[in-house]
Amino acid sequence: MLTLENLSTSDPKVPLQSLSAHFEAGKIYTILGRTGAGKTELLRTLIGLDEISEGAVYLDGDDLLRTPIRARQMAMVYQQFINYPHLNVLDNVAFPLRRKGQGKAAARARAKEALALVGLGGFETRMPPELSGGQQQRVALARAIVKHARILLMDEPLANLDYKLREQLREEFPRLLHENAEGIILYSTTEPAEAMQLGNELIVMHEGRIVAQGDPGTLFDAPPTVDVARVISDPPISICAGEVTGGVLHFADGFLPGQADLILPPDGPVQIAIRPDALSIGGDIEARVSLAEFSGSDTIVHLNLPFGNAVMLVDGIHEFHNGDSLNVALDPNALMLFSQSGNNITERAD
Amino acid sequence: MLKPKHFFLLPALLTLAAIILFPLLFTVRVSFSSWDVYQAGLNYIGGKNYLRVFADGRFWESLMRLSSLSLITVTLQYVLGFALALAVWKEAKGQRIFRVLFLIPMMTTPVVMSVIWRTMLHESLGPTNDILSMIGIGPVPWLSSAAGAFISVIMVEVWQWTPFMFLLLLAGLVSLPKEPYLAAAIDGAGPWRTFWQVTFPLMAPVSIGAVIIRLIEASKIMDTVYVLTSGGPGTATETPSYYIYIRGLRDFQVGYSAALSLTYLVLMIITLTIIAKLLMRFLVGKEA
Amino acid sequence: MRRTYQTAKYLCLLGWSTFVVFPFLWALSTSFKDANAVTSGATYIPWLEFEPSTKGWQSLFSSGSQGINIVTPFINSAMVTLIASVISLILGTLAAYGLSRYQFRAGFVKNSDITFFFISQRIMPPIVLAIPFFLMLKEIGALDTIAGLVLVYIALLLPIAVWVMIDFFGSIPPELDEMAMIDGCTPIGAFFRVILPNSVAGIVVAGMFCLIFGWNDFFFAFILTFTKTQLLPVAIVSLNSSVTPWWSLSAFALISVTPLALVAVVVERFMSRGSLAGAFR
Repeated sequence: MLTLENLSTSDPKVPLQSLSAHFEAGKIYTILGRTGAGKTELLRTLIGLDEISEGAVYLDGDDLLRTPIRARQMAMVYQQFINYPHLNVLDNVAFPLRRKGQGKAAARARAKEALALVGLGGFETRMPPELSGGQQQRVALARAIVKHARILLMDEPLANLDYKLREQLREEFPRLLHENAEGIILYSTTEPAEAMQLGNELIVMHEGRIVAQGDPGTLFDAPPTVDVARVISDPPISICAGEVTGGVLHFADGFLPGQADLILPPDGPVQIAIRPDALSIGGDIEARVSLAEFSGSDTIVHLNLPFGNAVMLVDGIHEFHNGDSLNVALDPNALMLFSQSGNNITERAD
Repeated sequence: MLKPKHFFLLPALLTLAAIILFPLLFTVRVSFSSWDVYQAGLNYIGGKNYLRVFADGRFWESLMRLSSLSLITVTLQYVLGFALALAVWKEAKGQRIFRVLFLIPMMTTPVVMSVIWRTMLHESLGPTNDILSMIGIGPVPWLSSAAGAFISVIMVEVWQWTPFMFLLLLAGLVSLPKEPYLAAAIDGAGPWRTFWQVTFPLMAPVSIGAVIIRLIEASKIMDTVYVLTSGGPGTATETPSYYIYIRGLRDFQVGYSAALSLTYLVLMIITLTIIAKLLMRFLVGKEA
Repeated sequence: MRRTYQTAKYLCLLGWSTFVVFPFLWALSTSFKDANAVTSGATYIPWLEFEPSTKGWQSLFSSGSQGINIVTPFINSAMVTLIASVISLILGTLAAYGLSRYQFRAGFVKNSDITFFFISQRIMPPIVLAIPFFLMLKEIGALDTIAGLVLVYIALLLPIAVWVMIDFFGSIPPELDEMAMIDGCTPIGAFFRVILPNSVAGIVVAGMFCLIFGWNDFFFAFILTFTKTQLLPVAIVSLNSSVTPWWSLSAFALISVTPLALVAVVVERFMSRGSLAGAFR
């Protein structure tokens, strides 16, 4: 079990601020956050590459901060393709085993197995610079897995690969990561879909802090704060100003979203969060299209609405032009409410 | 507390410091003495040597000479080196042979080549005047006239060190990105315009680096002058190094030459640092 | 327009090539001359304009009264240059790695200052150190010895090695060092096992410059040696000032410059086979 206690760094770009968390063996944790949220900083601090200013890290009781990097029994896969250019693929993967003291033959044998696992059987004598990006990353992955490290860290490993390769590897990951099942796996990413697909448990980071930790599905349905909601939503969630007046919920300019079975907070300003699937075509709200883009087999439409701006997700490919007028409907039961300070105060009456 | 990083840096740092700091400090001390052939030893005469340096016309003339020599040779080397690098850059017949050939002068020993050049520039027995006479140019007093000697030194220096510029500039050209050239070609720019608008600006960092390095090395010129002209005729090609050598190791005015050396050193450090910083700023300004 | 550009280009190349090659051809031709061929004016082509003789070449290898010994200075030059270059490369590479990967701080002195200290040594005119080196080597009895020269040459060549290698290490991503440490190497181990094997190109370039500046130095050898330990450049200059015939002089010169000319060919081949940081694109 990995424990972080009030971990802080004084990095000039993204300082970590008093992080505390528990990680258990045998689980895959995905760390989700925007660029600059501190994900890489966290991983590098755990490995020992960056210094901490305050706090402690314990792994199975060992004080990690007193352990030199080479003795921490960790493995890392970088975003850039990092392999040893002067060694062939087999020796690349065997490298950590040799450093641990294994004999050449034994290390190479296990390296060969790991390579077969990542689908690079037959590539043993090739040199890393000759390989494609996806192949290089597989080599890096094989080298990380073969160590059976206590902690396996992956810092946006698929970010530099093209879309198809990302999908492909993402599907293989559960099988691959099973090799390291006894360890703790931390996988950082900026894509919510990836985070939810891969992780047993989701950690959301924002501006150097951990702002949420828990089951991905639960966090998605009920993000604890506005920041979490923003990070976890793709396509983006829209936040509009609203107010509860006389027991009735309305948008800032008076627009009424319609009846919903929500238990409303006392009178006062609130933030109303509109999920992309809360809006649909056909209704009596007049909207104007400000931008339309395709994503996979869906269309994402940015709308100017009477009560603010929001993003709508439409199934299938539809053509919209900027400036088009559109009638849309808002499902009041798909709204979420957040307090002015950002906490989730949505309560459903059921 | 010895950390890994000290293992890397300290051996070199300590070695270098040990080898040069003592001599340097010693020179400083000597410069305040009047050690010469009559009176060997470290007495103390205050700043008298430095006052003498200040009034030493021959020294300051040699500095002026060095400045013009350096500027002329480095400019020529740059222009020629660039032209040659451009010529050999893309597909050219015999490209590799040219490349190796052009590197060779830089690898040769300056004094050795100067010895050969001396035989070549001999006014009656040397091939230079012989060939020139075939096209009707009278015997040129390469080494026996002030102007001729100056030009001879420049010629030999250019012969010797243009390869250095050539090497650095070619390495720079080879690693330029292709995109701007495609854009220029699409815009229909001819080779002249492409050079000035694309190649030259892109090569600015490499150019500046090469010029700075060459200026530093050129400011120390001694070997060529020693063999080719012995600083002459008269003092026509006398550089500061040569003059200090005469004062220190021929006249054995050790104390005075120490003061000259240090003045020379300080002037060089200040001048070259200023030039380097100016060029760097120019570079950064361009990118901004 | 393109045609004129092409012809201008080749004229340029051929013109410069002639300028480059001429001194060597002249020396080669002269080395086979004797008194007749030299004193009646400039002559060029053997057999056509003069009778070639091997007097010049022979005199190099005999050490009799007419002889000029080239073998001893050659060996001396080789020893001093190689030893000083190797030591400078080792120390310089280590220092450059330290400066490129770690932060140093001693009071207000930081990395860039230390780097400047190394590189600024090249600004130092040899004359400034020549006399104190002379006096100091005299003190420790190292004048006119190989060891004394090696010491001085290290001060000359170390900055070059540091300069080249700092630049080179800058092109190797530090993530590679990190990966080595994560995989179980100590920081020093990471350097030797991973970074060094990938630095061969840089070391070759640094080594080439060390060899060039070491082999070709005249001034320090001139000031700090006399009879026991003579280096090649000094030998030829002392020949030049005495009544040495042109043919011996030319032969001597050609042998002096051949080793590095060969190095040029080797390095050109090495460099055109693979560029320095190609592996890290």
